[in-house]
Amino acid sequence: MIRNKAPYDSYWIDALVLIAVVFLIVYVFYRVNTVLIYNWDWSFIPGYLFRWDEELQSYAPNLLMKGLFTTIRLAIWSIILAAILGFIMGMMRTSRRLFPRMLSRLYVELIRNIPPVVFIFVFYFFISSQITPLLGLDSISTDSSPITLKVLDFLLGPPELLSNVVSGIICLALFEGAYVTEIVRAGIQSIPKGQVEGGMSIGLSRIQLMRYVVMPQAVQRVIPPLASQFIILIKDSSIVSLISIQELTFLTMEVATSTQRVFEIWVFVAAMYFVISYACAFGFSRLEKRMALHKA
Amino acid sequence: MGIVKSSIALIIGATLVFLTFGEVFAGETQKRLTSESVIETIMKRGKLKVGMSTFVPWAMRNKKGELIGFEIDVAKKVAADMKVKIEFVPTAWSGIIPALIAGKFDAIIGGMSVTPQRNLTINFTAPYAHSGMGIAANKNLAGDLKWPEGYNSRSVTFTCRRGATSCSDIKKIWPKARLRQFDDDSLAFQEVINGNAHATVTSHPKPARWVYKHPEVLFMPSTENLTEGNESFGIRKGDPDALNFFSNWIMVHTSNGWLEDRHNYWFKGMDWADQVDLK
Repeated sequence: MIRNKAPYDSYWIDALVLIAVVFLIVYVFYRVNTVLIYNWDWSFIPGYLFRWDEELQSYAPNLLMKGLFTTIRLAIWSIILAAILGFIMGMMRTSRRLFPRMLSRLYVELIRNIPPVVFIFVFYFFISSQITPLLGLDSISTDSSPITLKVLDFLLGPPELLSNVVSGIICLALFEGAYVTEIVRAGIQSIPKGQVEGGMSIGLSRIQLMRYVVMPQAVQRVIPPLASQFIILIKDSSIVSLISIQELTFLTMEVATSTQRVFEIWVFVAAMYFVISYACAFGFSRLEKRMALHKA
Repeated sequence: MGIVKSSIALIIGATLVFLTFGEVFAGETQKRLTSESVIETIMKRGKLKVGMSTFVPWAMRNKKGELIGFEIDVAKKVAADMKVKIEFVPTAWSGIIPALIAGKFDAIIGGMSVTPQRNLTINFTAPYAHSGMGIAANKNLAGDLKWPEGYNSRSVTFTCRRGATSCSDIKKIWPKARLRQFDDDSLAFQEVINGNAHATVTSHPKPARWVYKHPEVLFMPSTENLTEGNESFGIRKGDPDALNFFSNWIMVHTSNGWLEDRHNYWFKGMDWADQVDLK
């Protein structure tokens, strides 16, 4: 790498801008106390992260940590489901036959063009209320063996909240699946037409073409946008609090109402979301770099 | 003759058949109603599912993250009397009625006041509590306003919790005043403390407690009840058995004083304050 001879040409302008920004932030925070009459008190927050359990004689996660675990479970399961759905729909979207193309187009346009809140309400009250009883989730929690329950507890959280969490997962997966579909479609269509024609000329079937030519390259190309969609999903998961899924945002509302300390708890929870989202972004950027090495 | 006789016989026969089947049908309907009642479902499941929403001191989280409060006590007692387990389904207040109708839980025990509008969508039992609405106002903004007619002006702003009966009470008592709604009571109070709204209305004992916490900004223009509410269990329509059971449960525990005793514990005193991180 050749070093630039004068890398700090505009140093003093940068410094000026930086000072101005810092000053503005400090000023805004200083002003908060003049428009907001509020006694800040952060002391109650650690107790809502972990509590001392008298029976077990150890620390146990309290509401906020429980909410965080649920949010992480929601995010992981719904991205898996959304990825499966998105890949199927994405392939249908590039199909040569009209019907699959229409079907996946309908799905994508329907979800992308209505507000998430409306989708979530409609889904939860009209559709999920019919799906969850069919899955028999309520009886799982009472009929299953202790070991199954433990596994379920790890994967999906407390059994009594199973149908609650599952409707949240399905809801998010259907919602995010539409965006994954578009990412996958773009990935498939980014493969030069010449390669497809070349494959066809040596007699590959459409499935073989997808499997050996298009998909290996497309998957590599869609990883970065998928990763960013995953991070968006972690934050989007907060909207399912509207349908009372017991995740971080919902439980935060409960703590805020119970303690009547609204601002501290929301600022703190925003920081929690930041930490998990940023950790994911960091992990994905490492992954991308490794994949780039393989390519080279 | 023959024709007349046989037609009479036919009519009598038909009537008999009709009556018998009518009886059978009525019996069937009765059986079906009973077996479809939510009471039957609860007994079979061995668990009562109650929809509620966090609202101090009706229901709140203690330091261990468990639910405590007046209606938590009530729901636990109902379950204990039915000899079933209890499960609470914390639900966002604005979506609690649709959630009941969609069958997410068996009953709302959530300090819900009976209003004719709500009653068109769900059924209510006999009342188990009577809450009064109180008011807290900003000293600088509303200190000079004449009570209560001075508040009925376009320049006066009220706040309330979205979907609560206090919102409709404000509209009724002070129709000219502006109204801003928040999802949480604390925010409704904060807006008044910040001087962006004149007053807020919510059920007792909250106004008094906030005035106690912020004596330099807040005051109570009146300590009387603005309106009196009737809080009832909410259940799905078309279930006479459940309506009868819950209403009579409330009647029994009203006459033996249990409900009043619990109500006084949560609403009149603050003995429970150290269980919560209430600042």
